Parts: sequence; structure tokens; C-alpha cells
Amino acid sequence: MSILNVFNSPTTFALATCVMADRRRINGPPGGTRPAIYATSLPSIKDADRARRQRQPSELRKIFLKTGLIPSASGSSYLEFEPSASLAAARANPKSLIPPSSALKLACTVHGPKPLPRSVAFSPNIVLTTHVKYAPFAARKRKGHIRDASERDLGVHLETALRGAIIAERWPKSGLDITITIIEAEDDRWWGDAPDSHDASWGMMNVLAGCINAASAAIADAHIDCLDLVSGGVAALVTDNDGGAPQLMLDTDPAEHRSIVSACVVGYMPARDEITALWLKGGTSKAALDEQDGRSGHEALVDGAVDAARGAHMVLGEAVKESMERALGQTT
Amino acid sequence: MASATGAASHPVPPSLSLPPSQFARLQPHAYLLAHLSPPAASNQPSIRANGRASSQFRVTSANAGSLTHTNGSAVVRMGDTTSVCGVRAEILRTEDIASWSVSRTSNEASNKRRRLAELNEKPNEEDEDTAADDEEDRAHIEDLNLLVPNLSLSTGCAPGFTPGAPPSALAQSLSHQLLSLLHSTRLVRADDLRIWYQPPSLGPEELERHNDDEQMDVDPNPSGGVEDHKNREIKGFWVLYIDVMIISLAGNPFDAAWASVLAALRDTKLPRSWWDVDSEMILCSDNVSEASKLSLRGLPVASSFCVFEADAAAGWRAVVIPDAEEQKARSQKKGSQQRWILADPDGYEENLGQERICLVVDKEKGGKGKTVVLKMEKHGGWTVDTDDLRQLVDISARRWDEMKRILDQC
Amino acid sequence: MAATIPSLAIPGQRLGPASAYSAGPGTHIQQSMIYASIAGPVVVDPAQPKTQLKSTIRVSRVPTSKPQTQTDSPAGAASTLPKPKPRYNTLPAVDSIVLARVTRVQKRQVAVSILVVLDESTTAQSIISPSSSSDNDNIASILTTAANPENHSNTDELRFQALIRKEDVRAVEKDRVVLDEMFRVGDIVRGSVISLGDQSFYYLTTARNDLGVVMARSEAGNMMFPVSWKEMRDPVTEVGEQRKVARPF
Repeated sequence: MSILNVFNSPTTFALATCVMADRRRINGPPGGTRPAIYATSLPSIKDADRARRQRQPSELRKIFLKTGLIPSASGSSYLEFEPSASLAAARANPKSLIPPSSALKLACTVHGPKPLPRSVAFSPNIVLTTHVKYAPFAARKRKGHIRDASERDLGVHLETALRGAIIAERWPKSGLDITITIIEAEDDRWWGDAPDSHDASWGMMNVLAGCINAASAAIADAHIDCLDLVSGGVAALVTDNDGGAPQLMLDTDPAEHRSIVSACVVGYMPARDEITALWLKGGTSKAALDEQDGRSGHEALVDGAVDAARGAHMVLGEAVKESMERALGQTT
Repeated sequence: MASATGAASHPVPPSLSLPPSQFARLQPHAYLLAHLSPPAASNQPSIRANGRASSQFRVTSANAGSLTHTNGSAVVRMGDTTSVCGVRAEILRTEDIASWSVSRTSNEASNKRRRLAELNEKPNEEDEDTAADDEEDRAHIEDLNLLVPNLSLSTGCAPGFTPGAPPSALAQSLSHQLLSLLHSTRLVRADDLRIWYQPPSLGPEELERHNDDEQMDVDPNPSGGVEDHKNREIKGFWVLYIDVMIISLAGNPFDAAWASVLAALRDTKLPRSWWDVDSEMILCSDNVSEASKLSLRGLPVASSFCVFEADAAAGWRAVVIPDAEEQKARSQKKGSQQRWILADPDGYEENLGQERICLVVDKEKGGKGKTVVLKMEKHGGWTVDTDDLRQLVDISARRWDEMKRILDQC
Repeated sequence: MAATIPSLAIPGQRLGPASAYSAGPGTHIQQSMIYASIAGPVVVDPAQPKTQLKSTIRVSRVPTSKPQTQTDSPAGAASTLPKPKPRYNTLPAVDSIVLARVTRVQKRQVAVSILVVLDESTTAQSIISPSSSSDNDNIASILTTAANPENHSNTDELRFQALIRKEDVRAVEKDRVVLDEMFRVGDIVRGSVISLGDQSFYYLTTARNDLGVVMARSEAGNMMFPVSWKEMRDPVTEVGEQRKVARPF
């Protein structure tokens, strides 16, 4: 007998109804549509198919980062995470239509410095505006066209992370718009897992780290004064075995872990050893650390995220240098 | 600096010299004109400010299937304009269509009753592409909104489009152009989108056999015959959400957006789907080998042009219909290249020309047959005549060959 | 701490001790060390005996700018440009010379939209050195964006706006100024920033011989040439029009 695996909750129904009222877009059938429901027999989605982490706990995914691809913007960047081992395997030899995991892809543009809108009061500093938007096809669940709460939340977190790094007083009475379009997001958990007590939007934290790195590169591309290339990194405490103590892992892909107990993302400036933004979710008390490690769970988690951010900083620096050398090569 | 002196045909203050970039910004029209009509003495060829010949398109590249959470996807770059398209298929159940039961024949009602007693489903059928189907195609795809294209410019793609704001007039217009082109070209076949249910009207041993068939899903209903066809009913449709994100806008968004839609639809795979009587819902198989690609009708390729007029004041004077005398003067001028038709305009050129032309052409028999014009749109001016349009169709046909090569490779 | 100064820097990169150098544009000081704050070539301006004791480290905003290795200038360009004041940004500042398009002519003031901020060195003489270019000088970027953002619905959000008040139009006979006879909508004006103004407008002056209208079209739509400090003429129709004309160089 076949068992239904309903991994898409019926919220798209509500979404379709709210889009229906939108007369500035082309709307689908008024009755709403439902995502495909796959009938998969239970044994085949057992752990054999589960995406597994192939990296060492402190090994980061490779990041592809390129700046200056959008000439109409003052600064721009494109960022892509290396696909996980399971995703790469599924791409090379496709068997199932259900992707095992996904790899972050996003584009960032910086417009400005430009005049402030008339409604805004005089500011002696640059006024930062951040927008983060998922493409409707970015995630496993179709996203709406209108920014939802999580997208606004990401925008606020991103602004916090960047504000501490920009030397705002060098650009009086002007505005800087940072726009990020997420073309492919990270999963919150492995698709085959039912939501559980440890569940949270873990993928969003990876997305935020990616946003920080991309925005940092785009701001450097726009020649806006910064204290440092602020970089983002993620670490998490994960349990992959039942009953085992949570382990610290850097740059976690939530799809590769059975359960994430807590996760932390930081915006970090290596040159000053300063954290501009910190976002930690979940409990850290049960972390399995070395006996002689005097740190508490959350200290270890934050340190892990900082280590991940340091790794990202190297990529950032390379990308910014590369675009600078390209610009020099063009003009000489 | 060359451009500044090049504009001397229009007497500018003699000694005012500016670097090209400032000249380009301050006097865009004169800047482009200086490139297109260099002084005769300089022996320079007439070339656009971006270095292209007037009928030359930007370097185009396409890459399909790189987005994980889509049924089909493509990224198309035309110069500095980048368009990302993702196709997501969702299911529309006929019971969610308000007018469905009313419009159906009574025969279906009896099918429904029969359905309750029996359990099985029937794989899709391949239908011949007939005129009758065409009409039904239109009815289903257009009336039921099975194709839902939306284009977004709120991506920071260019200054002036506020992110987070509702779609701009341009974005709305482009979305509707995509929709109407999808409808008028009948690119997607309704039959690819239908999810059928074949109520079993067979004896028990036959039923057994059909259960075996289900595993393979290749058997095109050998035994059912005419009667089965009659009883077959549509249980649902695939709705294709075709979302286009213009990531970078540097002119001519429509050609890039359409190319990305085309490439993404060519990449789109729909899972095998059936009506499950037990659960009373439509189920799909995640098996890649059972999924099927869309069988698209042809390969319509869009080519856009804009007209640049040498008359520097064109943008300044009120647009008035020329009287006969002016028209004559105009036609005399034509010989001396008073206006240029620029293919695939960039953002700079787009704003200097009022007159736009958009052609969508296809070639029959995969490129060996004759060229078919599927859409011809011209607005904003009167300088382009039928001869010009004929030439533009030729240019578009050449562009078709190029785009076919690019799309076949991606 | 005597490490060599890198030739290229990225934001956050340490450049040298603040005890030995002073920090120029594109850098900042953190715990008595100079760090880069933008990406670009690092330039060390030697100390000038009378005014400055220390050499200045700065990070150039423009990749072409390498005054140290004076090779970039086109043939014939003077290599001894007057040293511009250090600029920490590319925004219009007091005394900046700008090129602006007239968008509105009113009784007491003229509204303009700033198109180009010129660096001081370029305005002093007609010789244009590529090192004078600023961020708004990128041809690739100009060619991709709309040529006339003025046609855009939300122009004001894209360009810095400025006002020329009636009393700032010319130095003499200020009270006799009639703005309709000085500027027309669409004219390109060279002006000097006199104040950063309020949140929405800068203030410009054209009260100098070298300031005023530099490009204008006649009623007939043709580009005019200047014939005096207060008149420009259409080369086709031979009709003169009144303007506050900038002295051509």
C-alpha cells in the first residue's frame, strides 16, 4: 500500500486566495492550486535517501562570489553556495523529482548614494535601506509576491549587520538601497522529516549569512566606506544520532542533519574582531564539548559562527580584490 | 573626446570639451548621433555608442535547469540584461473550478458515481494535434488560467524601481505581454497539463492486468478502445506558475524575459500524476524516468528594435502628425540616413527613441521551413514603413537561427 | 610596524601606523593604525615641507588614478595639476562645481537636477585628465541605464536636487535679475555649490564668469552657441535668446 507523504502543508491555498485580490499581477485559477503530492512508499524514504553531511565539522562549503555583474547598479554581487554532496549526486544522476537539499543562490545590488526621499528628515549620515525578497520559486514551498514577515525580518537583521560596518558620516544626506533577491534558498530541514520540536526556520540563518556576505561585497564594489568587509557565518549544534549529545558544526546545511538543536549566525569584522550582528536560536546547554573546554554551549556556538565568518571573509577579500584587478586591467 | 568633436555637426560651444562619459550624460542624443554619423572626414564607420552595428544583437547566453526547486528553470543573459525564469507546477483540481461541473456533460455525473465503487487510474493519453484540440486548448489554458506568468523588476535590477513596492507599470505590462504571447503562440499544449482519470469498466481479470500496467506506465490503453475514451474524465490540471525575475536591467527586458520563459518551459518536466481513488486526491510519482517534458509548439523568438532619429529636437517638440509636405521632406531625407533602426536596444538607446518594434517569429520544421511571424507590434512613431518591417523580419529570422543554437545548447 | 604598504587594499586592510602617516580619503584610523575603508589602489602623497609633516596614505576611489606613476595622462596633458582638496566622497560638497539640468524656473528660484559632480582640478582648466573622473564617470554604467532619467516618474529619487536663488544668479545688478531671461527648462548649467541646504536641496550659485548656462537649445530645438555673457544664438534660425551664459574656455 502506498503511504502519502504530504510535505507541503496546505497553506498555499491561503496564499493563492490573498494573491487573488492582487490586480497588478497575473493570478492563477481563482479556486487556488495545490502543490504536487508525491506518493512514495515508506521504505524508500527511510534513512538511506537522507542527505548526509560529507564535510568535517569545521569544513565550510565553497562559496562562489562575484561582484560588479550589474552595471546599472553602483555595486552588485552574486553569491552561490557549492551544492551539497547529496544534491550534486542527485544532479549528476537524477532519480527523484524531489531534490535532496538545495544550495543558496542570491543576487545583491547597491543603489546610491542617492538623494533621500523628500519625506525623510535631514540626516548627516548615509541612510541604509535593506530589502530581502525570495523569488517565488526559491524555496520548496512557493513564496508569494508580497514580502512576508520572514523576509522583512531578514531585511532588519541584514541592516543591523551592515550598519555597524559602514562609515555613515562620510556620506551626509544620502541614501543607500541594498536589495537582495534570493533565487534559491536553503531548506529548514530534510524534506522527508516531519516537523518536530526542534524545528525552526534554520535555513533562514544560512540565508542571512549569505545576504551579509553578498551585501558586503556589493558595498565594497560601490566604494562606500566601511570599517571592514563584514562577513557572515553560521554554526549549529546538531544531533545526528538518537540520544547523542549535540555536536558543534560549522556552516550547517539543515537538510543534512536529523535535528538541529540550536544555531547561531553572526555578522563579523575580522580586522577589529567585532561582531556587528548576532542571532542565536535554540538551547545550547546540552552541547558536547571537550572536558577541558571551559566554554559554555553558547560561547562555543558563537565562536563557531565567528570561525565560519572568518572563512567567508577570505572569499570576500578574494572576490573584492579580483574585481578591483579587473577594473585596473580594463583601464590600463 | 572624439565624440565631443564628432558632435560638431551640431554646433556646440566651440571650446567646450568634456570627457565622453560626461558628454554621454549631458547630451545623450548628440552623443549617440555622433557615434552613428561620424564626420565624413574621420573615416569612422557608423556604429552605436555601445560598439554594435545597428542590426547587431547583444551577446546572449542561456543556462537551463540550475534551480533546484523548480520544474524547469533558465537564466538568460543578453548583454547586461539578465533574466531568471522558474516554472513551478501546481495542481488545479476540477472540483475547485467553480464552473466545471456545470459545463460538463451529464455523462460525467454517472462517471462519478461509478468511480466510488471502483479503484484504478489510467495513464495520460497522447492525442493528435487537431483543429478541434486547438479550440479545446484555448478553452482550457486561457479560461482556466493554467499559465501564470509574472515578471518582477523589484529586484534592484536598475535604479528607479523601488524594491518592495507593487509592480511598476512596466512590470505589469511585461507580464501581460508574456501572457498574451503564451496564449497567442499556443506554445504549451493543454493536453500536457491535463490529469485524466479512467474509471475501470472492465471485468476483474482485466483489472488485474491494468494494475500491472500501472507499474510501467507506457501502455497506451491497448484494450480499452472507444468506450474507455468516452468515460475518461479530467480530474485536474497542472498550472504552470512562470515567474521571471529580471536580475539586471540594461534595456530590452522583453526579449530576455521571453527567451528565459522559453528556455525554462523547454526544461520543464511534469511528474506522472493520477487520481487516487482511495484518498480521493491526485497523486504524483517522484520518479524522474516517469516524468515527462512538455511538448511545446515551435520555438517563437522575440526580437525588439527601437528607432533613433537624427533630428535632435525630436524629443523636444510636441509630437504632431506630419502634413503632406513634411512627409515628402521626410521621405527625401531617408536616403541620407536620418534615422537608424537599432536592434536589441540597451537602456541608453531605449530612452532616446520613441518608436519601438517587437517581432516574434518562428520557423517551420525546426528551422528548415519558412519563417512565420507570430507577433508584430510597432508603436510610438511613423518612420518605419512596410519595407523596413520586411527587413526587420529578415533580421529577426537570422536572430531566430542564433537563438535556436543558443537554446539547443543550454 | 615598518611593513611595506600594499599597492592595492580592501576595506579593513591595515595600511600603516598613524604615527608615521596621516590618514587620507578612503582610510580610517583604528587604535593608531590606518586601515583602508574602500577597495582600490593605495596612494602615498609625500609630505609637503610647510603644510604637512607626515605623508598621507589614501585609497583611490578610481582605479585609473595613479598620480605616483604619472603615466595615465593622455599625450599633451599637463602633469602638474593643482592638488585637489581631499575628498572623502563623491557627493556634491561646498565649492564643488556641478553640471545640472534645469527642471523648473520660478519667480524667485530655479530648480535643477545635478547630473555630474566635477572635481576641482577639471574645472580650473580645459585639459581633462582621466584621474579626475569620479564614480559617476563610468561609461558602461551610463550606457546601461536610461539616458534621460528625467523621463522617469520618480526622478527626484535618482538625482540630487539643487536650487539657484535669484540673488545667486550673477554678481552684478542682482536686483534686476529676471529668471526667465537667465535659464530655461532643459538648459545645462555649470554651478558651484554654496550650501548643502536642507534635506532635499543643495544651493548653487552661478555668480561667476565661468558659471552659468553651458548648453541650451533654442525655441526651434537647435543647440545654441554663446555670443555674449547674456546671449546665445541658434545657428539655424539666427535667433538670439537671453541666458546667463558661462564664459566658454
